[in-house]
Amino acid sequence: MSRQTQGYIAAIAAIALLAIFPVKFGSFSLLSLLHLDVSILSEMLLFAIAAMSVNLLLGYTGQMSFGNAAYFGLGAYGAGLSIHYLNVHFIAATLIGTAAAILGALIIGPFLLRRRGIYFSLLTLAFGQVFYFIAYRANQFTGGEDGMSFPRPYVGFAGWHTNLHEATFYYLMLIVFVAVLTAFWLIVRSPFGRTLQAIRQNELRVRYLGLDTNKFIYVALVVSAAMAGLAGALYGLLIMFAAPLMLDWHQSGDFVMIMILGGAGTIWGPVVGSLIYVIGKDIISTLTQTWQIYIGALFVICVLAFPRGLLGTLLHAIARRDVGAPIVEDTMPHTAWETGTPTGAAAVAVEQKEL
Amino acid sequence: MAEVLLEAKGVSKHFGGVVAVNNVSVTVEKGSIYAVIGPNGAGKTTFFNTLSGFYIPDGGQVIYRGRDITTMPNWQRIQLGMSRTFQTPSIFPELSVYDNLLIGVQSQKKLAFRLRLPSASRQREIDSKIDELLGFVNLRHLKDRPVAELSHGSQRLCEIAMSLSVDPRLVLLDEPMAGLAEAETERIMNVIRDLHDRLGLTVLFVEHNMRVVLSLAHRIAVLDRGNMLAEGTPSEISSNAAVREAYLGQEVISHV
Repeated sequence: MSRQTQGYIAAIAAIALLAIFPVKFGSFSLLSLLHLDVSILSEMLLFAIAAMSVNLLLGYTGQMSFGNAAYFGLGAYGAGLSIHYLNVHFIAATLIGTAAAILGALIIGPFLLRRRGIYFSLLTLAFGQVFYFIAYRANQFTGGEDGMSFPRPYVGFAGWHTNLHEATFYYLMLIVFVAVLTAFWLIVRSPFGRTLQAIRQNELRVRYLGLDTNKFIYVALVVSAAMAGLAGALYGLLIMFAAPLMLDWHQSGDFVMIMILGGAGTIWGPVVGSLIYVIGKDIISTLTQTWQIYIGALFVICVLAFPRGLLGTLLHAIARRDVGAPIVEDTMPHTAWETGTPTGAAAVAVEQKEL
Repeated sequence: MAEVLLEAKGVSKHFGGVVAVNNVSVTVEKGSIYAVIGPNGAGKTTFFNTLSGFYIPDGGQVIYRGRDITTMPNWQRIQLGMSRTFQTPSIFPELSVYDNLLIGVQSQKKLAFRLRLPSASRQREIDSKIDELLGFVNLRHLKDRPVAELSHGSQRLCEIAMSLSVDPRLVLLDEPMAGLAEAETERIMNVIRDLHDRLGLTVLFVEHNMRVVLSLAHRIAVLDRGNMLAEGTPSEISSNAAVREAYLGQEVISHV
């Protein structure tokens, strides 16, 4: 069985597991065993999508975004405001929220693209905080610091609709999640996705292969915003609430943490990270008020023990085994150092010694 | 006279108060091998970078096939048929040799922006192109290895193959022998000859080893402290008194 087939089977098994989680066998379900509420599972899936949006930028394109909560929050407010003021339906609210996030990214994207590395991260953070303060200050419109509550509309269309109970909501989220995951997988294995991964490793080389990398990063940014916006809109509909904190850089940091926990640059990494973070948080916070300390400690331990994330480390070990041990090429000694004159870093070291 | 492919007219570049390149002009004819040589700090890499679009010169013009490309972004120059390598091989370290070449071939075939996987016939086309490139630099046996694992010399060969993956007319090589042992230097020299003899490409390269330059190049420009010291054929350069005195030393010349 090829690795690819194994991957498909593992993915289907994971989705099946997510599907049977809330199913009751008599009075028993996997969920009740963990004393969990089904809405926690919905939250887990939505945070996974939001972390995947960060992953597309950092894990695949190499651009660290500390502002994806801005798109998440734009999604939540987009959905909330459209329900509050326009009284729209569930699907329309979701689409409006997602569109708001896409619009946000289209506008700030050109500014973000002017910088790379840490400066790019700082710009994403700064722009994210702009949205935070707008939501915070626009009291009459957004409810300011207190946030805004709104009802969850019926889902459906003319002639048919249904009220969403938490369990039905979860299955709807599962469908959305599988769709997003599939789209994400199709993107990263496409020629476009491969180019993004090349940009992560060496943007200059990609430019010197004749590609306008700004165009690629811009598209990645907008796709990332769409994912975060979708997650935010649905999260707003899940908790029927939107607040400035959803736009805050703390929230962005959580998404980054979730992604790193599971494994940046892997498709399922953010899902694993979200599972641990959201459910870990839920369990630990019922035991102690200082749950953040324990989540923080868990994060530190994971990063030290699994530098590529939990899933990332596992997948890397498998890939490493498949490729085989590092090779020793039977060429001549390749550094000038071995034949006499040092070059490069060695030369600098020698020069410094001599001074 | 043969067609002029690349021309630099009075190119200057300074960094703050330091003049790295001062009023340098070269003319590279189609189908020739052109070398830029000079001691450390002569400005040859800076000059090279103004040709490849890494820097925009402060003065002068760069003309490629009759078109002013002085301020053109680097990625557009590649689309016009230029390509380059770097002193330290610029590669995708975690990707396999195959995937490194794939990124360039995708770009050349205008597939890089697509979401759809290439069709089976397209994929065969891509694979045969990559195989051809691997054969040219003799790296077929390392095709599936991450480039980070390769020796310095093989990484450089991989980078040369990458620079060929975009179907260039003109290949710019920045110190292709830097950091290589004698045997590997030979190997790269043969590859540069092949670029010219077998593929019919125009090559411009920067180098500080006079022996390499004299045996490979058709024309040579000698830079010294940012200025053009001499320009001409290998025999003109090796007999040029200014070149001998300023930087080569008698013994190097008498070796050749």
